Amino acid sequence: MVHLSQRSVLLVLLLIAFPTWVAAEDKPLTYERDIRPIFRAHCFDCHGATKDKKGKLDLRLKRFMIGGGETGPAIVPGKPQESLLLHRLQAGEMPPGDTRVPDDQIKILERWISQGAPTARPEPETIADGLGITEEERAYWAFQPITKPAEPSVKDANRVRNPIDAFLLSRMQEKQLTFAPDADRLTLVKRVYLDLLGLPPTEEQVTKFLADKRPDAYDRLVDEVLESKHYGERWGRHWLDVAGYADSEGYSNADPVRTYAYKYRDYVIQSFNDNLPFNQFIQEQLAGDEMVAPPFKNMSDDNIRKLTATGFLRMAVDGTDNSNNEVSRNQMMADTIKIVSSSLLGVSVGCAQCHDHRYDPISHDDYHRIRAVFEPTFDWKKWRTPGNRKLSLYTDKDVAERTKVQQEAAVLEKERNEKEANFIKIALEKEFNRYEEPLQAKLRLAKATGGDKQTDEQKKLLKDHPNLNVNRGNLYQYNPDWRPLQKDYNTRIAKIKEKIPVEEFLRVATEVEGSIPETFLFYRGDHRQPQHTVNPGVLTVAAPPEKAPAIASNSPDSKFSGRRLAYAKWLTSGKHPLVARVLVNRFWLHHFGRGIVQTPDEFGKLGMLPSHPQLLDWMASYFMEHSWDLKQLHRLMMTSTAYRQSSVRNPKFDQVDTANEYYWHKSVQRLDAEIVRDRILAVSGKLDRTMFGAANGIKADDTGQIIVDGSNRRSIYIQVRRTQPVAVLQVFDAPVMTVNCGKRTMSTGANQSLMLMNSDFVLNYAKAFAQRVNKEASGKVDPKLVAGLEIPLDPEWLASLNPWKFGYGFIKPAKEEGAIGPVHFTPYPFFGDETWKGGEKMPDEKLGYTFLTRTGGHPNNPNQRPIRRWIAPATGKLAIKGILKHSSDNGDGVQVTVYSSRLGKQGSWQIASGLVDYDLTLEVEKGDVIDTIVDERKNHTSDSFTNTYTISLVDKETGKEKTWPSEEGFHGPLKTDGDKQVASLVEQAAYAWQLAYSRPPTRAEVELAATFIRTQIPILIEHDSKTPLLQAMTNFCQALISSNEFLYSD
Amino acid sequence: MSNASPIRTRREFLTQNALGMGSVALATLLHQDKLLGTPANVPRGPQNYNLDLKRPHFKPQAKAMISLFMHGGPAHMDLTDPKPELQRMNGKTYQGDIQYSFIKRASKRLMGSRWQFRKHGECGTEISELPPNISGIVDDICLIRSMHTGYNRHEVSIRYMHSGIPSVTGRPTLGSWLLYGLGSETNNLPSYMVMTDPGGHPVDSVNNWSNGWMPTLFQGTVMRPKDPRILNLDAPAHLRGAIQQHNLGFLNAINRKHLERHPGEADLETRISSYELAARMQTSAKEALDISQETEETHRLYGIDDPATKEYGTRCLIARRLVERGVRFIQLFLNGQPWDNHQNIKSALPAACKRTDKPAAGLVMDLKRRGLLDTTIVHWGGEIGRLPVTEGEAANSGRDHNGQGFSTWLAGGGFKPGMVYGETDEVGHRAAVNKVTPNDFQATLLHQFGLQYDKLIFYHNGQEQLLTDGRPARVVKEILT
Repeated sequence: MVHLSQRSVLLVLLLIAFPTWVAAEDKPLTYERDIRPIFRAHCFDCHGATKDKKGKLDLRLKRFMIGGGETGPAIVPGKPQESLLLHRLQAGEMPPGDTRVPDDQIKILERWISQGAPTARPEPETIADGLGITEEERAYWAFQPITKPAEPSVKDANRVRNPIDAFLLSRMQEKQLTFAPDADRLTLVKRVYLDLLGLPPTEEQVTKFLADKRPDAYDRLVDEVLESKHYGERWGRHWLDVAGYADSEGYSNADPVRTYAYKYRDYVIQSFNDNLPFNQFIQEQLAGDEMVAPPFKNMSDDNIRKLTATGFLRMAVDGTDNSNNEVSRNQMMADTIKIVSSSLLGVSVGCAQCHDHRYDPISHDDYHRIRAVFEPTFDWKKWRTPGNRKLSLYTDKDVAERTKVQQEAAVLEKERNEKEANFIKIALEKEFNRYEEPLQAKLRLAKATGGDKQTDEQKKLLKDHPNLNVNRGNLYQYNPDWRPLQKDYNTRIAKIKEKIPVEEFLRVATEVEGSIPETFLFYRGDHRQPQHTVNPGVLTVAAPPEKAPAIASNSPDSKFSGRRLAYAKWLTSGKHPLVARVLVNRFWLHHFGRGIVQTPDEFGKLGMLPSHPQLLDWMASYFMEHSWDLKQLHRLMMTSTAYRQSSVRNPKFDQVDTANEYYWHKSVQRLDAEIVRDRILAVSGKLDRTMFGAANGIKADDTGQIIVDGSNRRSIYIQVRRTQPVAVLQVFDAPVMTVNCGKRTMSTGANQSLMLMNSDFVLNYAKAFAQRVNKEASGKVDPKLVAGLEIPLDPEWLASLNPWKFGYGFIKPAKEEGAIGPVHFTPYPFFGDETWKGGEKMPDEKLGYTFLTRTGGHPNNPNQRPIRRWIAPATGKLAIKGILKHSSDNGDGVQVTVYSSRLGKQGSWQIASGLVDYDLTLEVEKGDVIDTIVDERKNHTSDSFTNTYTISLVDKETGKEKTWPSEEGFHGPLKTDGDKQVASLVEQAAYAWQLAYSRPPTRAEVELAATFIRTQIPILIEHDSKTPLLQAMTNFCQALISSNEFLYSD
Repeated sequence: MSNASPIRTRREFLTQNALGMGSVALATLLHQDKLLGTPANVPRGPQNYNLDLKRPHFKPQAKAMISLFMHGGPAHMDLTDPKPELQRMNGKTYQGDIQYSFIKRASKRLMGSRWQFRKHGECGTEISELPPNISGIVDDICLIRSMHTGYNRHEVSIRYMHSGIPSVTGRPTLGSWLLYGLGSETNNLPSYMVMTDPGGHPVDSVNNWSNGWMPTLFQGTVMRPKDPRILNLDAPAHLRGAIQQHNLGFLNAINRKHLERHPGEADLETRISSYELAARMQTSAKEALDISQETEETHRLYGIDDPATKEYGTRCLIARRLVERGVRFIQLFLNGQPWDNHQNIKSALPAACKRTDKPAAGLVMDLKRRGLLDTTIVHWGGEIGRLPVTEGEAANSGRDHNGQGFSTWLAGGGFKPGMVYGETDEVGHRAAVNKVTPNDFQATLLHQFGLQYDKLIFYHNGQEQLLTDGRPARVVKEILT
């Protein structure tokens, strides 16, 4: 049911090509390049990484292998048959456990031994403990320092707007590809708004850009949109994904709400809007508290801001609210390290939590060095639970006021508790009195005796009389009077307490003054097995060889360790090989729909290689050179030809590079879940643009589906409850935060279609959208667009769409010619009580007793006989089957006559005090009028009747049969009040189109829309719609917001 | 292994991946094929969940399950668990300890059953006169008389029964786990369906079919007793039929025009066809609900001809039709808790029986004669039972909650027919012999679906989760064929 977008295909294919160590047959092998990665993955845990080696076998050097372990030499170079290591692997005896070294890797090992076990270079004389980092490992692209490659020169120089284009073109030339033509300006303005703001441009914004003929109009557009306050709501959301933002703690199923998480969310939005330099943004999130002098009281706004930033380190799932134990504490720390490393370092540092990383040169010690950076903050031995580590923003004045109010409330509380005790006493007394003496006295004594002083007999006595255990919890079972009283007290107490100034909190990561715990390396990641101590530090491989920056354990001039700030400064020093690459890659991913590295969280060997490494490095350098100015980077990317080109595919290029890995066209991107919702809110005119503040609530509807509880604010302000994702967002792939989300999945499935077709959410906003266009459409569209397409909305036309009419009259004498055939028909003037009649009162002054209901009616006089009229919508063979019933025992009954406007009378049937079936067939032509006229016969008394029949028509053209039961066709006046259409329907449709797609429709599209509405109204009227015009527009608007043009950005 | 492995061959699976599998799923696959090593800490990023068929851990006995959940605590000593000692001691004071819920009306006076027990079938299982139709199918059912939650309260035990931990909400229910582990056999219908009562939701409401922290793909789809029967599936009344068709026609037209401007964009085409699939689901559901296709004799078998059993019988029959169409797990609920007979048990219990007895038995018989019972589990039972002592005054007496011991029965799907398993103590208060906890019950059900309860793992918040949450559990092999 769910299909992923094509984007993931390439990723899959490339991953299949992995692992990289599968070398070609003829290539000479080396230990360092070809064999060591196999050992790293399978053997080093026991035979290399640790000081004690199993069986005294060390596989880190060739000569150690030859020397061998307790069971002799592991390899004999040139002689695979004599190499024990190979035998053990082939036999599946090593590694122990279920895992096997894959056959192809064993073959490589075999070939390497056959070749004489060559090494890349002479092996060192001595070797330190641990695996160290080889030249080959360090040579991996992601760990190289970032340099700024020169802009390549290219043939299509006229398409080069900035170096991005040159880098892309130079690779395209290999494949004879080139950029698609520039996208038209309309596409561009939409693309820029949706990308930067997650909101469509308004009509004015589009018009303004289209009218701007200056050569730099596009650059100005990008500048202007970057200044919108909504920018932070869109790009902040991207960051919240990698930060793992949620408004709840997770871990347990209680999933407690994080009331104040929103302050961090607001910090992120504001920082993006302010274009806070990204290095500063990172430093504040990792160490904002260390930038502020303690105590954290009476702080300036800027200091509050910096402390709020540390909420980043409080985003991980945290179970210590409900299950505060060593496991949950360490889990929270591990998750925080995962978030920090995947968001900023782009390597799975977490793989080294239990042992050396099996693919990347990240040691078990490295992991704990980073853990040590955070250890004083998350001191798991002196853990602070979420409740006792939140930072109050309360002032001294607030405290004083609170004390005063609480004293006031305490008076009432005391009174309530005394009353309650009394109630319990009375209830108990009543229970005692149910028992005869001497039992009663015994019970009283037992009850009066303190729990620990009771005799066994007394205990049993009380156990056998459980009704004596009256307490606060079950008092309601004894006396219904207490509850209302209790409630009244509680209300009054609550009312008093409302006066307490609201205390707000920040969720911060801070250290406890003067308390710096040691970090131990945990054997196998198990906190119950601490080994040696580890000092704070950085990833060895990410630092220059032998020159890893030191992170001091202590800051001499502070009560805090200063570790996080030092670490943050290293990350943002400009010398870190990963941080800028990872960030730039993410920004690129959001702009272009695919990262240069397609595994944005994983730049190590478990991830994918960059498609354009030089471009990535050039942009990373540019970013750092420009003071980590994100908006400048947006400008760079968005003003490139790569970004400005059309998204339309070129069939020829498609054959070369379907996946668009070369960026020869702009990708078509499905809007993110939040943008789908926000855009629907925006076009329907309901969007509440209020920014910031507490999260808006969610609730389960009566089917358990989670919906937004009434708010029309942007989705970023809707509460993110880990256990209760909002249905409409989740169905469009909003992440459920287990840790964090580096890249969203994109699914396309029937569940999304059903949501768009039938959910209350979509239907309600489609209606709001229709009401909006009705109100606003007049004069908004080019008259030429709609000229001649108008839909006649006069009541006659509407009435003509329903085949059933209700009136009175008579069959004229044969020779007299009337307006429509020989039946004289006047519609009833009044409808009330589900009855067509002369007026509110019966009998009516003019029309007397004549009336028609769903099933029957009553004639009045020979000129006022009820007529049920049906107009043939097509030509064909007609059959009528009916029952005429006269219930009264009095009078001479009634008669029904069936009359065709073209063929005349078709038959009459009479009945008195009983019922008669009638059945006839006839030919009709489209527009023929078929009447059933009921008359009173001779005797004008007791003439109430029921007359129900079914008309069946076999359409001559289609051969299809359709039936119209008279009861179902009965309807009141076809009202269009409440359905007042201010603007013409076609004008509305054209305007709705413009709002939905941020572009006016073409004439052909208006024609399509007009045809839809024109053909839909009759269907609606036939289905008894009370507001066919509004409904037609609603359905039209729903189609627009469910369409691909709405759900994708091109 | 985080999930049961895909059913297709590796090659087919990879080919299919060209259409849509994410990196993590692939990493898992490579992992399984030992192409990668086995780092204990392979990053577990966002997984791409789907309803594709999965291969179970071992050969399953059952493909589908219909659970007739009996909220409130059916009085086992009046229905399925004869207690001669209780009859003998009727009216006398019980000497042992009793766990009550409602102490105000509590007593220790034992109350024997008002209803006669008799042996039935070839197996001779004793059932009271209250459910005569269930008595008629004893040779097909496996009756457990030793269920035990240990908690007398409704919600605590309900949540324990459905999702593995007493009292705790926000966890996926059995149906979600089955879908997660096995995928769906049908493309045209939701695979986990919940049929609610026209009278309203059961106690604990939507928690009864929560997907907890699993993706919505695995959520129970509510088949409501009134329109819209399935949420978001059917158009609301004012759009149904010709109108929505007309709308979709227009939507298709503008989508096609849009596609013409973006030739070759596969995802745009996929989305266009997903509307067709959605429309197909609407038709399939309607067809499945249409019991007029069934014979009069079948209607009678479920009691649809009798006003007293018409409603529940109709739902049971629909459940069978859903199973035939590949739906994996269906659970029927009653409104509120009709079996919660604190008072007037004399009339209230027969009323609850009357409504459900014939439909439940009819369902088992119908499945059996159609050859579906071998692969379909039918479950009948509640979250607790009732106490052997009187609650309230004699005139309107009833029984209080009892989670210490109660009965439940299963039919089909590899459960031993004609079997009675376990015993309560002499008065029926506590499970005394072969106690079966909800976790045992869950482990056993998963086992019948070919799933090993401690290997069906879902990663939530980076942690391994099991239906039984690592609590003590065992597959009750004694009741399996």
